[in-house]
Amino acid sequence: MASTLRLYLTCIRNTLEAAMCLQNFPCQEVERHNKPEVELKTSPELLLNPVLICRNEAEKCLIETSINSLRISLKVKQADELENILTKKFLRFLSMRAEAFQVLRRKPVQGYDISFLITNYHCEEMQKHKLIDFIVQFMESKMMFLFAFSTTFPTFKVATFTDLLTLIKR
Amino acid sequence: MKNPHVLLLSVSLPTPSSETIFVCGLPFGAIEAIKAAYGNLVQILDPPRDGFNLTLKINLSKLPANQEQKHAFLVKVASIREVVLGAPLRVILEHLAARTVAPDLDPLVALVHRPNESFFLFPQADKVTVVYPMRFNDSIDIVLATSFLQEFVEARRTAGLNNTPPCSWSLTPPLELKEVPAANAGFVTFVIFPRHVEGQKLDRTVWNLSTFHAYVSYHVKCSEGFMHTRMRRRVESLIQALNRAKPDVENSKKTSYNRSFKRLSLKDSRTNSFS
Repeated sequence: MASTLRLYLTCIRNTLEAAMCLQNFPCQEVERHNKPEVELKTSPELLLNPVLICRNEAEKCLIETSINSLRISLKVKQADELENILTKKFLRFLSMRAEAFQVLRRKPVQGYDISFLITNYHCEEMQKHKLIDFIVQFMESKMMFLFAFSTTFPTFKVATFTDLLTLIKR
Repeated sequence: MKNPHVLLLSVSLPTPSSETIFVCGLPFGAIEAIKAAYGNLVQILDPPRDGFNLTLKINLSKLPANQEQKHAFLVKVASIREVVLGAPLRVILEHLAARTVAPDLDPLVALVHRPNESFFLFPQADKVTVVYPMRFNDSIDIVLATSFLQEFVEARRTAGLNNTPPCSWSLTPPLELKEVPAANAGFVTFVIFPRHVEGQKLDRTVWNLSTFHAYVSYHVKCSEGFMHTRMRRRVESLIQALNRAKPDVENSKKTSYNRSFKRLSLKDSRTNSFS
């Protein structure tokens, strides 16, 4: 399980390193405007082929690149109702704080749980390799959060209910 | 003039559901339970105050002088709601301890514990089966409670819990409760044997059974709080990771101040240009 996650994250890291070659590019449609082409998709010559990296059916990552922007969309595995709620809550919690994250997209791409939008300005402000580290760490921490909560939750439950049971045991 | 040594305590009980029977606005056995719990320190006023099911007159001048006994009594007064609502349960479990069934009792007893909601007892001479329909309003609470209760049933398999009351959980009601509407978080069933209500264990068992739903609700809310704490901590660590991606502003300022620029001649600039 851990080895497949490691391979998955390594693949994403390598793809991001190749894709994150962004430069300033003024909009071809509107004068004196500078817009992320990956969002507008008005000029096909400015877009690269999107890369879809799948760990399994339920877990995948879509990397869409253009000349001046990069969009990363993630889908997280939700095995049961509890994981589904944890994912929804955590990702909504993050989306509400998109301002603090700068690179986080408020609304995920359809079919995905969360999306990042990185523009050339972000690459100018931040170091490329550390930005990639952040994305990978984010994915790790998201999975770790869900895993940690769903594993500590039962032990927390057992601990709290055990005292109820022991009160009336012989 | 108001008497400083007399305190009136009025209790409003949850609205009973259709299957629950109240006698004079109180569950059966409540009057006897109050008398047994508080003795002559408390007097039941009849009729109670408007809008209340029960009004008690507590004589504070008769409180025990010993500080510990006084505290114990006041705690007992504070748990009046449990004494009243747990009275029928106590009657049934007292009979179980004596290995008998209370006379004039239906095979299915419904006890109110929340407004318009009941839990059910099936009294027998050798055991009492207690069934809780677990209902929650919030969709998240339903999922957390369901997960909780499934783990709860598993918890009994832990070493050292062999003598605890057998417990089961299912989404469908037991056969005896066919008429009861479905509960969104399922049904929890305990089987209480005489050994669980012997001597001093009776009080503890009555308390645990009558407050079980509140206990589960409390832990569901705690787990939500726990989840939010984890999320906040995780967000903070992620923001720190993102901030590390930004180059150090102070260092970049220093380098810009220290940098010297050499003015190129026209000839040099031509050779240095990219054109």
